[in-house]
Amino acid sequence: MEDTPRLNFMWHLVWDFRAELLRGLLTAFEVAITALILSLFVGLLFALMKMSRFAIWRGIASTYINIFRGIPALVSVVWVYFGWSLLFGYNFTVYQAGVIALTLLYSSFFAEIFRSALEAVHKGQREAGQALGMSRLRIFRSVVMPQALKIAIPNIGSMYIGMIKDTSTFTVIGLAELVFVMQSINAEYFQPFVLFTAAAGLYVAAAFLVDFVFRIVEGGFSYPKVGRVKRFLTRRKRAQIQRLVDAN
Amino acid sequence: MFARRTTRKTLATLHSQLIPAYASIPLYMSALISLRGIRKSFGTSEVLHGINLDVYPGSHTVIFGPSGSGKSTVLRSMNLLEEPTEGSVIFEGVEYGPGFPGAATARGKKIELRRQVGMVFQQFNLFPHLSAIDNIALSVHAVTGKSKDEALERAAQELKNVGLLKWAMNYPAQLSGGQQQRVAIARALSLDPKLMLFDEPTSALDPELVGEVLAVMRQFAETGMTMVVVTHEMGFAKEIGDQCIFMDQGYIADSGGADFFDTCTNKRTKEFIGSVL
Repeated sequence: MEDTPRLNFMWHLVWDFRAELLRGLLTAFEVAITALILSLFVGLLFALMKMSRFAIWRGIASTYINIFRGIPALVSVVWVYFGWSLLFGYNFTVYQAGVIALTLLYSSFFAEIFRSALEAVHKGQREAGQALGMSRLRIFRSVVMPQALKIAIPNIGSMYIGMIKDTSTFTVIGLAELVFVMQSINAEYFQPFVLFTAAAGLYVAAAFLVDFVFRIVEGGFSYPKVGRVKRFLTRRKRAQIQRLVDAN
Repeated sequence: MFARRTTRKTLATLHSQLIPAYASIPLYMSALISLRGIRKSFGTSEVLHGINLDVYPGSHTVIFGPSGSGKSTVLRSMNLLEEPTEGSVIFEGVEYGPGFPGAATARGKKIELRRQVGMVFQQFNLFPHLSAIDNIALSVHAVTGKSKDEALERAAQELKNVGLLKWAMNYPAQLSGGQQQRVAIARALSLDPKLMLFDEPTSALDPELVGEVLAVMRQFAETGMTMVVVTHEMGFAKEIGDQCIFMDQGYIADSGGADFFDTCTNKRTKEFIGSVL
């Protein structure tokens, strides 16, 4: 019995450093959400390129997607942070490097998500728009995209959770996100079990939160409209239509 | 008498003899839409072998025939939803479509043609993410450039015309097939088309819902709307058809006027009508 060290879990550390841990989690959220917004745009662009009539655009998009889907987050961020400054002499801040690395990686996933969502929209929808005499842009904006987004949103949510988790590798460039904070505390108290369990818990909590938020967003894109948020947002329009119905 | 392997030119001249219905149409009246030598190939197989067809203002043309005969393709080439491989669509004197090799004429833009031609699909093709009224209002707003409020008002009127104003806020998924098709008709009519195309508008409906859609179509036919209808509803075709076209294997195999169903003599046509009626 003497040889077995007494396990001494200092769970209070999690509470003591709650401010730092939350700040770390917030940083992770922040980097991930900036990258999410950027990669949605870049992803859509590459999705459209991949669906282009012209082989050259399709080729460029496929190459981009296959390269960046294959690179791990750790490698990508190291390359952006250190590689870029070595080659071009320009230093990104850790925050910028994190956002760029995540955008590069996840825009390739989003490109595929968008492409499959756009292709899943029934062909008749485009035809109806064409037959009505809508412009191509209008068909895309008002007919195809709203339906494609609805299909894509659950996948985008999962990807966002993945992005938050991938920020943990940015510890290597010194981004003060959750794992980085954990490691600093660990260096002082040597409580890896406690701290990494807490980290796991916080990531899971974050995932639940993201899931919750994306469910609301999904409700907004679903039809018939579900959810109080959507009903609240459309109440004026509904009243207007009701007036028209009553008037006629 | 129908020679399959004739050249385009002879087909065009044959055409007027082939369609006796034209005899009853005053000479001074020019066609609203004319198809000239429409050919369509998918890959190596040609599905339309040079179709000529004139549709006069205020007339109701019905096209019928076995599946795969090319009747939908003819209809869809009228608004260039199916771009012909060769041939012209002439709408109010303006030529659209690819034309003929070597013959360079000014061509109208597809979108201009489509804005004057309404279309109703077999599968309705309502926008599922928009309510009934928004389906119509979006089209009005996007195509005519009217403000959103004006577009909603117009949409309400159109819904009233098809008897669905009460369902204005319902989404397509919350409407029956017949109701959806009526909304689709209202949507097409909201753009004041000069020509309406119906592509088997009742084929996807439960038998008991067919009636309401036909009633709406009849109502608009009576207002003098020019219509081209591809249909399997022979009773309806007989009732409204001024020009009846029987298609078979990518040709107009037989055609006639309003009395076509009673007077046709072609064996193949009679066979088909007999099997469907």
